[in-house]
Amino acid sequence: MKTPSRLLATLFLATATTTATLSAHAADLLDGVKSRGTLRVALEGTYPPFNFKDKGELAGFEVDLAKLIATKLGVKAEFTTTEWSGILAGLSAGKYDVIINQVGVTDQRKQAFDFSEPYTISAPQLILRKNETREFRNLEALKGLKLGVGQGTNFEQKAKATPGVEVRSYPGAPEYLQDLAAKRIDAALNDSLMVNYLVKTSPLPIKPGAPVGDVEKSAIPVVKGNPQLLAALNKALADSFKDGSFKTVSVKWFGVDVSKAPSER
Amino acid sequence: MELLDLWELFRDAAPILLKGCGYTLMFALGAMVGGTVLGFPLAIARVLPNKALRGAAAAYVSMMRGTPLLVQVFVIYYGLPSIGIEFSPFTAGLLALSLNAAAYLSETLRGALNGVSRDQWAAGYSLGLTYAQALRFVVLPQALRTALPGMSNTLISLIKDTSLVSVITVTELMLATKELIAATFRPLPLYLAAAALYWLMSLAFERLQAWQEKRLNRAHAR
Repeated sequence: MKTPSRLLATLFLATATTTATLSAHAADLLDGVKSRGTLRVALEGTYPPFNFKDKGELAGFEVDLAKLIATKLGVKAEFTTTEWSGILAGLSAGKYDVIINQVGVTDQRKQAFDFSEPYTISAPQLILRKNETREFRNLEALKGLKLGVGQGTNFEQKAKATPGVEVRSYPGAPEYLQDLAAKRIDAALNDSLMVNYLVKTSPLPIKPGAPVGDVEKSAIPVVKGNPQLLAALNKALADSFKDGSFKTVSVKWFGVDVSKAPSER
Repeated sequence: MELLDLWELFRDAAPILLKGCGYTLMFALGAMVGGTVLGFPLAIARVLPNKALRGAAAAYVSMMRGTPLLVQVFVIYYGLPSIGIEFSPFTAGLLALSLNAAAYLSETLRGALNGVSRDQWAAGYSLGLTYAQALRFVVLPQALRTALPGMSNTLISLIKDTSLVSVITVTELMLATKELIAATFRPLPLYLAAAALYWLMSLAFERLQAWQEKRLNRAHAR
């Protein structure tokens, strides 16, 4: 009986030590950014029109925004594409400096990361089949019905928090849109800005549904303990709001200034 | 205290992880049965004198081994509805895993069948047995003994292959772990916990394999 509990204790200790080591870091990330001359930015690269690959090159609203912020910091932007399911973990592990990928500001995430000022304010919106006759005014109206969401997104968490809704988690938008058209799910949930783009570009018979839930803010997460980098990012954002460079980028992709709430646009 | 923190994390994660384990086991066991049921006739089809049957079986094995399991799962669930065949996530996942496992299992079995000496076939015929009878009563039992470790390999691998059904919305162990990580931001402890659970499930099957090997080796015990 001695050997198994000893093994367990060693395994426990090994896990704890590794986790502790991973969260330890010395200097502020801003120093690294300045000395390298690059701001390491992570994004998915599979999320048009926010960030995607156009003929192999990264393009999109957030790619332009990242380049704008990097210029204001006096450095260049260096991009890493990674799957959503691992992106926040990579930030914690110090693989990159920031994520600029429509990261919604939630209380849970605020416990692990510091967020910059929000640069996108939008609301979640339903996506329905084109011939859908039922009206869904809010998430509760989907009680007993199937709702498709992306795995690991805050839309998934929102959907799961609504009682009675059967949540189906998909690897990405193409998959749940396919199933929506095939009548396997009754509705899908994503961001308003995304929904408009999806309906416009997808060949499937879908239409936008009602905006549901509260307006949400997306900002740039940074690992805790880097106040200088956070301050520098906020200054860069504030400057871009003031001198109109942010508005130019936003209007280019969405036709509106997304840093303002939908009601103020 | 770090350890207390971890304990709380595991305590809260346990029900969700165990539910995921349940789904993983369901798919693993189902696909093991399905794969074996399909694999046996497939292996025999590859050694039969009939050329057309042999060719068809070889083509099937080549296609199922040569294409990614992820693509197979995708096509069966998302692709087939476009030609009118619709499967639920559970059925689609089970089908894909079984069809894939059958290809690998049939090769192991075919190797084992080839490993039984030609003399055994001759001995069977000399006793007046037909091809089918010789296969069933003389050759197959001997081949099974050699086939077992290889087949267990495939079957235990199957336990981890079930993680692919996450792409067709089934919350098995891997997806359950990813969802917990998305909510708690503690990837390392949770992935290690999932790994431990996979290992426990594999250990159970390894015991099963050891028991079967012992049984089949009775005639060869020293």
